[in-house]
Amino acid sequence: MSDEMSAPGTDDQRLRALMASYQAGCFEAFDELYGLVAPRVRRYLSSQIRDASRAEDVLQETFLQLHRARRSYDPAYPLMPWVMAIARHCWLMELRRARRRPVADEDVAAHEPPVRGEAEGFADAADLDHALGILPAAQRQALLAHHQWGLSFEEIGERLGIAEAAAKLRSSRGVRRLREILSRR
Amino acid sequence: MSELPVLPPVLRARLASDFHVVRPLRSPVARAMAVAPFAALALVAAPLWFELRVDAPRLGWLQSWGWSLVQAVAGVAMVAAALREAVPGREWGRGALVPWLALPLLLVIVVTSTTFEASPIFVGRAWMWIGVMCFAGSLATALPGAALAAVLAARAWPTRPGLSGLIGGLGAGLMADAGWRLFCHFSEPAHVLGTHLVAVVVAGLCGAVLSHGLCRGFHAS
Repeated sequence: MSDEMSAPGTDDQRLRALMASYQAGCFEAFDELYGLVAPRVRRYLSSQIRDASRAEDVLQETFLQLHRARRSYDPAYPLMPWVMAIARHCWLMELRRARRRPVADEDVAAHEPPVRGEAEGFADAADLDHALGILPAAQRQALLAHHQWGLSFEEIGERLGIAEAAAKLRSSRGVRRLREILSRR
Repeated sequence: MSELPVLPPVLRARLASDFHVVRPLRSPVARAMAVAPFAALALVAAPLWFELRVDAPRLGWLQSWGWSLVQAVAGVAMVAAALREAVPGREWGRGALVPWLALPLLLVIVVTSTTFEASPIFVGRAWMWIGVMCFAGSLATALPGAALAAVLAARAWPTRPGLSGLIGGLGAGLMADAGWRLFCHFSEPAHVLGTHLVAVVVAGLCGAVLSHGLCRGFHAS
C-alpha cells in the first residue's frame, strides 16, 4: 500500500487540487481524479482480491464512498492515504459480506446430481448401440443376456443350448471386442 | 502515453444524483471544541446542583478544581483524538492508541490516589447505594457527551467507528467524572475506581456502540 501512497510531489499537489475542486462543486474534477487514482486503487484491490470482477465491484464501491466521504478530506494532507484507507475499508466490508454469503461454487460441484452420470451414459448409448451391432450375434446375445438382463451363465447356456463355459467365453469375448471397437472411436 | 480510465456511466450517474458543494471538515481539534461547552457544564453542574464536596477546603483549589480541570481538558483532548481517528488515512497507530486508551485509567488512578492521600474519606456501610448513585450520575452526565462525540466522529466517515466512538466516549466519561468528583467527597479508591472509573469505561463502550451504529447507517445510505 505504501507504493500506492507515495505519489510524487507534483502528482500529489494535482490530486489535492482536483479533490478540492470536487469539494467546491466542480463535478468534472472527479473524472480526472478517477483517471489518475483508479489504476492505483485497482492495483491495490487486485493484490487483495483474486476475483477480478469482485475487485472491480469494490473499486466502484470505493469511489462511491469517496464521494460520500468527500467532506472528510482535508486538502492540507496528501490524498492517497485518504483514498487508500477508504479502499481498504471497502475491501474489508466486502470480505465481511462474502463471509456471510453462502459460497455456492464448490458446493455445486460437490453436489452434482446423479442424473449427470446417467446423462453421460445416454450420450454414449449411440456409440454402444453401433458397437453392439458390429459384434457377432452369438457374442452379442451372451453379453446382453448376462450384463443387461442379469442372467447367469448357466441360464444363458440353457437358453442358447450351449455349455455354461461356452456362454461365459462368448460373453467375455464380446466384452473384449466391444472395448476394442469403442476405444477406436 | 496510455489513456486514463474513464468514470463508468452508472457510477457517474449515481454520483451526479446527489452531488453538491461540500465544505471540508475543520481540523479534529477545532471540531472537538464543540464539546467544550459540554465539558464546562459537566464540570460545574454537580457542585452547583448539589454542593461542592465537603472536604474541598482541606483539599485546596489545586486538588479539587485543579485536578477536575485537568480531567476536563484531557476529556476534550480525547474527543479531538477520536475525531482524528475518524478521518480516513489519519487513524492512530497502535503505539499511539495505547496511551490514548490508558489515559483515563491512569488519570483517574493518579487523581484518586493524591486525593485519598490528602483527604481519606471512606464510604462505609452504604457503599452499594452510594456506588450506584455515583455510577448512574457519572454515566448519565457522560452519555450526552459520548453521543455528541459519536455524531461528530461519524460525520468524518471513520474506518474504525467503534474505536473512534470508544475514545470519544472515554473522553466524555472523563469530563463527567471531572464534575462528579467535585460533588462526591468519598475518596476511598475502591469506591472511586469501582464506580466512577467504571462509569467512564461504560461511557466509552456506549460511545463505541453508538458510533458503530451511526456509521453503519451513514455508510450504507
